[in-house]
Amino acid sequence: MTEHQHTTSKGVWAIRIAGLALLAYTFAMTFLVPLGPGIQDVVVTQTELTDKGGVYEVEVIGHGTHFSKTAPRVFLLRGKGVLNATAVKSMDDTHLKCRVRLPAVIPSPSFDVYVNNEIDGTMSYANGFFASGLKVVSKATLPDEPGVLENLSASNLGFHFPFQPNIMESIRNLMLHVPMWFTMFLLMGISFAQSIRTLRLGGDPDRDLRAVASVKVGLWFGVLGLLTGSLWARFTWGAWWVDDPQLNGAFVTVMVYAGYLVLRGSVQDAKLRSRLSAVYNLFGFCLLVVLLMVLPRFTESLHPGKGGNPAFSSYDLDSALRAAFYPAVLGWMILGTWMYSLQLNMERLTQRIADARLTRACMPLPLLLVTPASTTALEDVFTTSGKMPVVTGVAVIILAGLALWWIRAAQKLRRLTHEESNLNSPSDA
Amino acid sequence: MRETWFLFRHFWKADVRAQHSVAGLVLFAVATVYAAYQVVQGRPEPETWNALAWIILLFTAFNGVSRTLEEDQTEVLAYLRTTVHPLHFMLARTLHNVVVLSGLACLVVAFMGLLLGWADMSAARFAGFLGGMVLTSVALGTTLTLLALIAARAGAGFGMTAVLGLPLVLPIVLVSTNLGADLLSGVLVADTWHNFAFLGALAAGSGVFGAVLFPYLWRAS
Repeated sequence: MTEHQHTTSKGVWAIRIAGLALLAYTFAMTFLVPLGPGIQDVVVTQTELTDKGGVYEVEVIGHGTHFSKTAPRVFLLRGKGVLNATAVKSMDDTHLKCRVRLPAVIPSPSFDVYVNNEIDGTMSYANGFFASGLKVVSKATLPDEPGVLENLSASNLGFHFPFQPNIMESIRNLMLHVPMWFTMFLLMGISFAQSIRTLRLGGDPDRDLRAVASVKVGLWFGVLGLLTGSLWARFTWGAWWVDDPQLNGAFVTVMVYAGYLVLRGSVQDAKLRSRLSAVYNLFGFCLLVVLLMVLPRFTESLHPGKGGNPAFSSYDLDSALRAAFYPAVLGWMILGTWMYSLQLNMERLTQRIADARLTRACMPLPLLLVTPASTTALEDVFTTSGKMPVVTGVAVIILAGLALWWIRAAQKLRRLTHEESNLNSPSDA
Repeated sequence: MRETWFLFRHFWKADVRAQHSVAGLVLFAVATVYAAYQVVQGRPEPETWNALAWIILLFTAFNGVSRTLEEDQTEVLAYLRTTVHPLHFMLARTLHNVVVLSGLACLVVAFMGLLLGWADMSAARFAGFLGGMVLTSVALGTTLTLLALIAARAGAGFGMTAVLGLPLVLPIVLVSTNLGADLLSGVLVADTWHNFAFLGALAAGSGVFGAVLFPYLWRAS
């Protein structure tokens, strides 16, 4: 085997430092940029119901809002009909109460709730108001009270992430969870390219090592993506796992590459192993493209940005999210390729030592296990303060997973280097 | 083309001559259907019927592709390497698997009907379902042939084929279960044609990939 003198050039180090800087920026943005204000929930209680109509007590629960510092206005909207709420009373910054009077005959029982004030601008909650007990006639008209619509104000806040109902603070996962998959795809792409080279060169062992190194690192990112996605799904969709084309595709991807490692483990001959696994890698990657890029386009999906079309441009990103998301993707990718080069180093060292000893060391697959604890207690913990703990949990999972990788890699590299120097030293018998 | 046809006929004749191989596949399919019949006990709901049909077909297919033929013996392989082009071998092997799996699919459907009923399908829908079963077998045959050959080269059998193949046939399973669920819930065959098109495209695509990649497995070392 040729000697691979491994000297990392200054340019590579500059890119790595830049990548770390990008990740620092990502984490700062993820945790420090405030979330825009929004309506978290609307609670409606009926107080009066006569044949003239109904009176409803409405409690609006906001997140990140400034109700007590301003004079908020509340109105209901259905089609062109606008109804102003009266007796608006701010309890505190995130709670306000008001009263709504509806006629006996309404065109639809559900209304969108709008809250407007000088600091937060206009916030809405689709179908937040449901009027029970009234007669619904689709041709009925509502009193048009457009007074509020004329003085809507844009929000008066600084740089912030957009508020989405239900998702709330966990929108920050865009900078943590999503780049895991981007990085995994980059690494699997590297592996794909290296497998093509392997076959072109008739089973080149070093190209094969590159392919397996990138699969191992990519698999690590894939598992982190699954774990973080599962945590997020629990507190967004209510289940650790839902039947969804995007999720199935992600799981199958991880299984296919785990199968790749199993296949490698069962072939002894290096040349045959490099060719067999390269063929499987190419075949698998092509089918994955079908599974992940083509089939989900024809099915409904719950996954954000995936409503029938998983194209990247359909993410409804706003400028604040873009400013954090693109650097995050770049930073994670640089980290991923850095880990790839370390993993490659390990694979080469292992191979050289095994060659020297004429035995093959078996590398155990890393296994991560998650045992869900009591669900109700978790619910209480994770859904407080706009699901911010979900973001923290995701960050902890990623940081712990990556820390595990780096500690393992450092230990292993040290051990392998030591072993190799022992092999080379003449005193060793 | 003539070479492919010749090899295919050769595989076929070898199968007919060594009857135990095909008989084993048939027995496996029949026994699986019977086991399902015993587990379900009686006539299942259409959803269960659908799920059972595709799972049985899947298992039969994995069993069907991962048996070893006379050609897989080292001596015969060494002879074939000097006389046959790998592309022709791959095409003939795929064709052979596709024919065997399609036959098994028909057998599975027939036996399912006999034991578990026809799930109240009209004649037209039944024809569509059978067509879907056969098309799925074609897609499974083209996908699994390469994987079974990889597993055979790795010196491992059924287990390795399943590890490598099960995740990769998932797109096929997803499409065909959709197709079956559509037909059993009363959708017209013409309204679920896109599922047939998907299956055809998956079969063609994996067939092409198999033919392109197989020559790299063909060499001796």
